[in-house]
Amino acid sequence: MSSTPPAPRPAPRSASLSAASPRAGGGLHRFANPGRFLRMTERVLPWLWAAAGLVLAVGAAWALVFSPPDWQQGETVRIMYVHVPMAWLAMGGYLGLAIASLMSLIWRHPLADLAARELSPVGAMVTALCLATGSLWGRPMWGTWWAWDARMTSVLVLFFLWVGHAALVRAFDEEERGARAAAILALIGAVNLPVIKWSVDWFNTLHQSASVTRVAAPGLHVDILYPLLTCALGFSLAFAALVLARVRAAVMEKRLRQLQLAQARQNDTRRNEVAG
Amino acid sequence: MSLSRKQRRMWLVVLAGLGLGTATALTLTAFQDNLVFFLAPSDIATKNPGPDRAFRLGGLVEAGSLQRRQTSDGRPEALFRVTDGPVTVPVSYVGVLPDLFREGQGVVTLGKLGADGQFRASEVLARHDETYMPPEVADALKRSGHWDPSKGAAPPAASWNTLTPGQPAAPERSGG
Amino acid sequence: MTQHWWHVAISWALAAAGFGVMAWMAARRHADAKRRTALLGPRERRQG
Repeated sequence: MSSTPPAPRPAPRSASLSAASPRAGGGLHRFANPGRFLRMTERVLPWLWAAAGLVLAVGAAWALVFSPPDWQQGETVRIMYVHVPMAWLAMGGYLGLAIASLMSLIWRHPLADLAARELSPVGAMVTALCLATGSLWGRPMWGTWWAWDARMTSVLVLFFLWVGHAALVRAFDEEERGARAAAILALIGAVNLPVIKWSVDWFNTLHQSASVTRVAAPGLHVDILYPLLTCALGFSLAFAALVLARVRAAVMEKRLRQLQLAQARQNDTRRNEVAG
Repeated sequence: MSLSRKQRRMWLVVLAGLGLGTATALTLTAFQDNLVFFLAPSDIATKNPGPDRAFRLGGLVEAGSLQRRQTSDGRPEALFRVTDGPVTVPVSYVGVLPDLFREGQGVVTLGKLGADGQFRASEVLARHDETYMPPEVADALKRSGHWDPSKGAAPPAASWNTLTPGQPAAPERSGG
Repeated sequence: MTQHWWHVAISWALAAAGFGVMAWMAARRHADAKRRTALLGPRERRQG
């Protein structure tokens, strides 16, 4: 058993990173240098935003104008082009959060902590959009804004998990303890993902079963499927750009805090020298 | 046995995940009945909810069973039968039906079962059948006799999800 | 505009507002951190 002394870890984790073994964490440690991360993503981000804007413009025009109405839903089917991508992003994003939390707990990757912290407000937003658009669709179609069936309830739980993660990660004075507690919450909450996905098959629900990802051919006509996939790609790109922009801002803020701390310390020593 | 700190953390996470997954699976199995949103007509005999208990009844609206009329005070009333194949329950409902309501569609109704076997609904929700198709495609399927929406689910999606129906003035129409 | 189109319009507007507001907030955070880093000294100005 390696007996590492329980010495307090130096506060800024980035300082200890260059010493961390590069093979663990899948070579991702080269992104741990904040300066390099900022330089690399600075070039990527504008392209990501441009791609998201372009695909979303095409997707929105296709979904709102050029795609046909549905034979029984009429024009209301156009809500689905927002609702379904938001549902996919809410779940896919949570899978990303769970992976980041795993990397944070096992490999202590600092960027994983930062990504998880900046991911959860965006995840909460898309889950809220999923619930709101579902409600707006359900009122005219089902005849109700909301029903406590297994699918809707489990998505509401997902929303609370996102909000809980965002709150917990910011609840501690010591950043690292907040990150650890939130990572554990995120991993526990991951059991909700299969429950959401298969709730419509395991239980009888008001919500319909999956149309796109079923074993037989998708239950959507291509005139509806293709604009849906375009919108899903566009929203995914926008989601990625948003998270990346937030992580960049967080890296800048973290570096600013470290510089302020270093400057304050320098001033202190100088003052002490003058006094002594 | 020398595990690095990383490996120990990894095993801890794996074990905790296994425990949590098992616990969730057991809980969901135990609560399966409580997570049921509605009872099918066949379930009523076995899980008899009693005459004064409100519950949700779900099934398909039987083809040809829908009658719409007005109550004496001018409100719309619908009479229809909900079926799951073996058992059929007559339902009455006063109020506006949702857009997706039609014969052959899945519905979930909330109400009480009278001693006369009539289910009096205070709420009718329509289920969606997870098929999305343009009206022209649905019309083409109906015209060709491949599908009667009031009798059952749409044919396998592969047979229509790339179908492009002819121009609005189809030959059989313009010719006749 | 029918009620159906209202629901469609609100859905899309909510999505646009959600993404738009969050993008604007991220840009503001970044600009703010950059400005305050620059105030600390000329040595730090090159990055970000």
